Amino acid sequence: MAGIIDWLDERMGARALARRVANPDIPGGPRLQYVFGAVLVYLFLQEVVLGVLLALYYSPSTATAWASTAYIQDQVTAGWFLRGLHLHTSSAMVVLVVLHFVQVVWTGAYRRPRELIWWSGVLMGMIVLGFSMSGYLLPWDQNAYWGTQVRTGILGSLPGGEPLKTLAQGGGELGNLTVTRFYAIHVFLLPLATALLLAVHLIALRKHGVTPPARLDEAARAQTKPYWPYQRVLDVGAMAVTGAALIAMTVYTHGAQLYAPADPTTAFVARPEWNFLFLYQLVKFFEGPLQIVATAIIPGAVTAALFALPLLDRAPDRSPRRRIWVLAFVGAVMAGVVALTAIAIVDDAGNEKYQKAHEAALQDAARARALAAEGVPALAATVVWENDPDFKVRALFKEHCATCHTIEGKGGQEAPSFDGYSERRWLFDLVRDPTAKRFFGGTKEHNAMEPLPASDVSDEDLWATVEYLYSLRGDAKDIDDAKASRGKALWDDTLECNGCHELERKAEGAAPTLAGRGTLEWIQRVIADSSAPDLFADAAEMPKYKDKLSEDEIAALAQFIVEQGAPASTSEEDATP
Amino acid sequence: MSDRDREPQPPSDDAGAGGPEDPSRRRALAIGVSVLGGGLVVAPLVPALGFVGFPLRGAVTSAGGDFIAAGSRAQFGPTIPIKVDLYADRRDAWAVERQVKIGSCWVLERDGELKAFSTVCPHLGCAIEYDEEASAFRCPCHRSEFDLDGTPVEGPSPRGLDTLEVKQDAGLVAIRYQRFRQGVGEKVEA
Ligand code: FES
Repeated sequence: MAGIIDWLDERMGARALARRVANPDIPGGPRLQYVFGAVLVYLFLQEVVLGVLLALYYSPSTATAWASTAYIQDQVTAGWFLRGLHLHTSSAMVVLVVLHFVQVVWTGAYRRPRELIWWSGVLMGMIVLGFSMSGYLLPWDQNAYWGTQVRTGILGSLPGGEPLKTLAQGGGELGNLTVTRFYAIHVFLLPLATALLLAVHLIALRKHGVTPPARLDEAARAQTKPYWPYQRVLDVGAMAVTGAALIAMTVYTHGAQLYAPADPTTAFVARPEWNFLFLYQLVKFFEGPLQIVATAIIPGAVTAALFALPLLDRAPDRSPRRRIWVLAFVGAVMAGVVALTAIAIVDDAGNEKYQKAHEAALQDAARARALAAEGVPALAATVVWENDPDFKVRALFKEHCATCHTIEGKGGQEAPSFDGYSERRWLFDLVRDPTAKRFFGGTKEHNAMEPLPASDVSDEDLWATVEYLYSLRGDAKDIDDAKASRGKALWDDTLECNGCHELERKAEGAAPTLAGRGTLEWIQRVIADSSAPDLFADAAEMPKYKDKLSEDEIAALAQFIVEQGAPASTSEEDATP
Repeated sequence: MSDRDREPQPPSDDAGAGGPEDPSRRRALAIGVSVLGGGLVVAPLVPALGFVGFPLRGAVTSAGGDFIAAGSRAQFGPTIPIKVDLYADRRDAWAVERQVKIGSCWVLERDGELKAFSTVCPHLGCAIEYDEEASAFRCPCHRSEFDLDGTPVEGPSPRGLDTLEVKQDAGLVAIRYQRFRQGVGEKVEA
């Protein structure tokens, strides 16, 4: 270790650097009131580490934010502890910002030439509130949703605030882009801004040193003491006390609350984090058009006054007596904040309706989280394929048709298969043996058509007949005319099919007319109502879909079924096995 | 923090035994500060280790395990393997996806018995394809080739295609989907 330090010292003057950075001289000696800044730095670093850890499991989207937070809270090892510690540490930061602020105002440490320390400090104080506000949304639970709804609502109600609200929310309503935006702000922008401001804060502080109490005279101030050992002991001691308190508090409260998932349709009595209760209470006092007084004018004026403080304070020295108006102003603001917070708390404590609603909310939360243990149903990104019309029609087929009809080898056998549907080969096989399972073998009461074995009709004659039948569709362009006319002769003179099957459109017979059979329009009609007199009439077994499906759905199904016959062979040669 | 105590200090009214310049006292303070500071780091670190290492404690994702319906026996023949997609609920950390495709397999009949080969290449996990012309299974990634029995014929795959358990009942086929460790000679469940 010493070797490494020597090596570094020789090359970059590590020792002198360490002394300058870590062991500055303190005018007037170490003091307890200097610890706040150090503790805040420690808490900030703790938040960064905890934040990185939580980001290992958290997923920012409306579908996953709550689910992943519930996973952290209830399933991941020590997840509840780290999440709770992250929240409580942020609360502690607010407390310490206030203490630090009070100490700085009291000693007048904001005065020239320490303006930069002050301004960067005020900005960081506001950023701490920004962290609180942005982090509040991320669990995407009821509290987060409704609380943020109110806040962005306030933003939108300011003059010219509507576009700002849209920008902050990433749209007109809270949604996925709100979560991603708040997440980006919370984990990238604010920490980065804090780091930069902290650098300014600390560099300027190194230059000017801490501000000893005003009552110390010249001589006492000139008595500088090194940071080490006593100030460091105080700093580390204060950090340890804070850290221990936070751990105790996290264990005691079992971390942070997680309410039921955000539901824009159910009412929820949201309350802001404790550190925003005063604003919430203030807003209650100003109604209607006056609301802007509470949401913008008062907070804006106070913030502006704080920024301007080093410029406004023209007192000849830092003694509290000469800065009485500054102290009075800050005291009044602080008293106002404390009073408003107290009123809000007391109000809710005495508000039975709120208590009841909150009790119900806690029950919802417990229930939702117990259910989440089984996993929160989610859709895989591959569901995008379901937008494909082909997928939709297949789903429709599966739902309404596949119990009886087969496609691609899958489905029921109560009705004819659609593989190669109404193609020549299909017709050939059907005529040979309509009682096969592939055709009407499984269809109840559908046995009137008799098989036509090879002993009755040769293959060659049957292919010719099929060609003729195929031509009757009226939509086939590849008809072998010679073959078809031979088929027609067979049909007219030899075969007995015409005893049942008519050949004119709409002609009624004991079996469906063969004109237009197998075309899109024909299939559409069969789906709609197969019991039409020119179709299956009394023999119809199929449900009528004209009332169950829309015309578009029936058309899509018919098209799909026609396509099942598409890649089939077009001539006898390659169709014959 | 230890560099200063070795250096000569300017005289100070605190100097002397018991004051901050007393070396033994400074050492005690240094130890105390180190202990407290170390505690600050360690206290959240212990739960943090458990938190980060959570996926080591058990499967975070899981799917399958049970037999999954794969269609009717009639559709599978001995010459051409048929690709079957298997659907089941998949658990992925906090989420559960209902009836999603969790994997695929090639199914065909060999010696009168139905075989299901996982499409996951035993080499490094690419998706095995069936090459109709060559009547062989091929992996597009590093050109492993397998015959219709799943035996490796060529390429870097350390073992043959992984078979999945097949069950038949009343003309229906069910397949149990599993994943196996890649890149090793033995077929062991992942
Ligand atoms: S992954 Fe299949 S050969 Fe490498």
